[in-house]
Amino acid sequence: MKAYAPALAFFAAAGLAPLVVDDAFLLDTLVLILVWGCAAGAWNIAGGYAGQISLGHSAFFGLGAYAAALCGVRWNISPWYGVAIGAAVATAAGTVIGFLANRLRGPYFVIATIAVSQVLLLGAARWRGFTAGSEGIPVPFRAGFWTLGIADKRIWVWIVLGLALAVYLSQLYLERSRRGFQLAAVREDEDAALSLGVRARRLKVAAIAASAAFTAVCGALWAQYVGFVDPLYVFSVDLSVRFSLAAIIGGLGTALGPFLGSLLVTTVETWLRAEFGGLGSHLVGLYLILYGSALILMVRYAPQGLMGFFYRR
Amino acid sequence: MSLLTVRRLSKRFGGIAANREISFEVAAGELVGIIGPNGAGKSTLFECISGFYAPDAGEVELEGTRLTGLSPDLVCRRGIARTFQKLRPFQGMTVAENVMVGALTRTRDVRHAREQAHEWLRRVGLLEKANAYARTLSTGQRKRLELARALATGPRLLLLDEVTGGVDQRSIPALVELVRELHAGGLTLLLIEHNMRVVTAVAQRIIALHLGEVIADGAPSAVARSPKVVEAYLGQAYVA
Amino acid sequence: MRVVNFAHGEFLMLGMYAAFWAFTLLHADPYLTLVVAAPLFLAVGWGSYALIMRPVVHTSHNVQVFTTVGLSIVLQNLALVLWTAYASVISFGGAVLNLAQAVAFVLAVAATAALFAFMRFSYTGKLMRATAQDRSAAMLMGIDTGRIYALTWSVGIACVGAAGVLLAPIYPVYPTAGLQFVLIAYIAVVLGGLGDMAGALVAALIIATVEVVGSYTIGTSWKEVLYLLLFIAILVVRPAGLFGQRGSETLGV
Repeated sequence: MKAYAPALAFFAAAGLAPLVVDDAFLLDTLVLILVWGCAAGAWNIAGGYAGQISLGHSAFFGLGAYAAALCGVRWNISPWYGVAIGAAVATAAGTVIGFLANRLRGPYFVIATIAVSQVLLLGAARWRGFTAGSEGIPVPFRAGFWTLGIADKRIWVWIVLGLALAVYLSQLYLERSRRGFQLAAVREDEDAALSLGVRARRLKVAAIAASAAFTAVCGALWAQYVGFVDPLYVFSVDLSVRFSLAAIIGGLGTALGPFLGSLLVTTVETWLRAEFGGLGSHLVGLYLILYGSALILMVRYAPQGLMGFFYRR
Repeated sequence: MSLLTVRRLSKRFGGIAANREISFEVAAGELVGIIGPNGAGKSTLFECISGFYAPDAGEVELEGTRLTGLSPDLVCRRGIARTFQKLRPFQGMTVAENVMVGALTRTRDVRHAREQAHEWLRRVGLLEKANAYARTLSTGQRKRLELARALATGPRLLLLDEVTGGVDQRSIPALVELVRELHAGGLTLLLIEHNMRVVTAVAQRIIALHLGEVIADGAPSAVARSPKVVEAYLGQAYVA
Repeated sequence: MRVVNFAHGEFLMLGMYAAFWAFTLLHADPYLTLVVAAPLFLAVGWGSYALIMRPVVHTSHNVQVFTTVGLSIVLQNLALVLWTAYASVISFGGAVLNLAQAVAFVLAVAATAALFAFMRFSYTGKLMRATAQDRSAAMLMGIDTGRIYALTWSVGIACVGAAGVLLAPIYPVYPTAGLQFVLIAYIAVVLGGLGDMAGALVAALIIATVEVVGSYTIGTSWKEVLYLLLFIAILVVRPAGLFGQRGSETLGV
């Protein structure tokens, strides 16, 4: 039980915060921490647990975001359907990428994932008739739970917390289930795993598809929260890198790591943006220089990430 | 019916014919040694049987079921397990977890798999290392880990690729004894070995390969004296 | 070197900025800057290898990927902080633009040919190819693989820096300019076949053709999608690339 103390602390704090905190800015930061934590956790399922590093996960995020936005704008149905549709389409896309993962290894798979996300970016940015092109889609706000038009940030915290718990528990499942052990074996040495009867190819595809579905749900919720979907942001390589950054800094292949990573990255970023927004906005780049350097150092010397401080493996 | 049938198996790599029309049968319960100088095609044979390579021609059958060209995980689930010459433990996992991966191919229950893993570790003499990380083991211990892991998949036929390679002299007898025990328990074994003392002590039958072809197949004493085998290992001048 | 440099585009961007600042501050012709830029970027390459790449040369792919990704983040944001996100343009007259493109093409082909000849015929080139094929064997032959890697990396950086200088008169310069170009570069290399220089050149020409033909038939806004889809399609059918050795892609190296 003691091993789960940090996780319990994190989720309890997140759950109780809306009851004691009133400040909109702080609550907003909390929502973002949780959303990016979920996205990082989803990425972690493919990258950390299955060993399939991708820098194209923004493809799934964007699919979710657009699904939600289009539900509101084009089809006039509840964005909750958008969540489901986004997840379904992303699962299909994830299966395709999983197929690619079985044909390419290492950095070349990474390039392929970047290519896929850029295809979607260009598609969304140019297909005026469907997606309103590069101007993006403003997501209509219609008050009510069913339409996910929620002004009260506290409710948003709890909604996203629900997703966060789902992502966290899914990762835990991967640590102690049969599939999880087999996946870990594939990650360590795919050929050895095959020789032991592990269905490596199928597991990799499943992990990537699950990762894609979760990421899309994040995207859909985020779109409803933020209120605007810009294809150049939502399908960007930067966003994909951001998911992996949070997961790695927090602890690759650990269940809580992505959330800790997101906590660190998001708080610094939102604070800097608040301080230097507007004319000095390019100074926000400072923290990314730090994170880029941290990434370079950590990946070589402290691969356990922040979780490594809690648990010496 | 024999357990394993290899019929006219052939595999080329570019200009090199690694396996040339190799044919033999292994009956259930046999312990067969495979010998041959370097480059004879022994490892290629194992790769073809275990599904890592698809042969260019020929068939591999397990009790009549066609295995030729199936993927390695399918071959394992059909009943053939193997070890690797260059050891491949799952470094980031504990010894017990390594073996569990094998056990989980036969059982869905993680707890049951853990029990089985401990049982196999006890049999190979690694139980006290169960919670150590695989990367901390010595070569001899890694060999035994790889053995336990392969055995946990519950195979009918076990392919051992140079199980005594790189193991110090003192540890070899214990390893050989382990192989004998497994055989006595009813397991069918195919051994690639360079260590002649080990092979002749343990094998009921030896198949000798040279330049991709079978040049001898029979009792150890007969094979050791076969002129072709002597020539392959030592050169023409030594043929009596 | 068996390393994909995800910061490749950022070095290109730095080359573009070098040309821009040389032009703006010193009124230097970009083609003059080229002469200075190439050795400058060779040095930058050497420095970045020593500082950042050397510790990770023998580590796993994932570590290398994120090292170069981290480098990419650092360089992009360094440019952002120093020079802001606004696009800068080297303005010549409009007609000169076409001349710039023609010159860039000629110089690029010349540089590629020179590089190819270097790799093929020079002693150092042989050392580089040997190290690429089998690092351990090369070390056993007495080749200082660390130095070879440093050289390989630096030559690569010098090339891409020079490419940046050549592109600066043609395209707007901003901190994230690297990605669009480098994506094509990655695609050309993978499409042409890993480790095959001639293949990469052919693939680049194929991509350019697809781009131009596509923009005539389907419209300019879809041309990138076209070659991206072509890339993905080829990966599905022939992951080793058009000229690569079958199976090399599964080595991940």
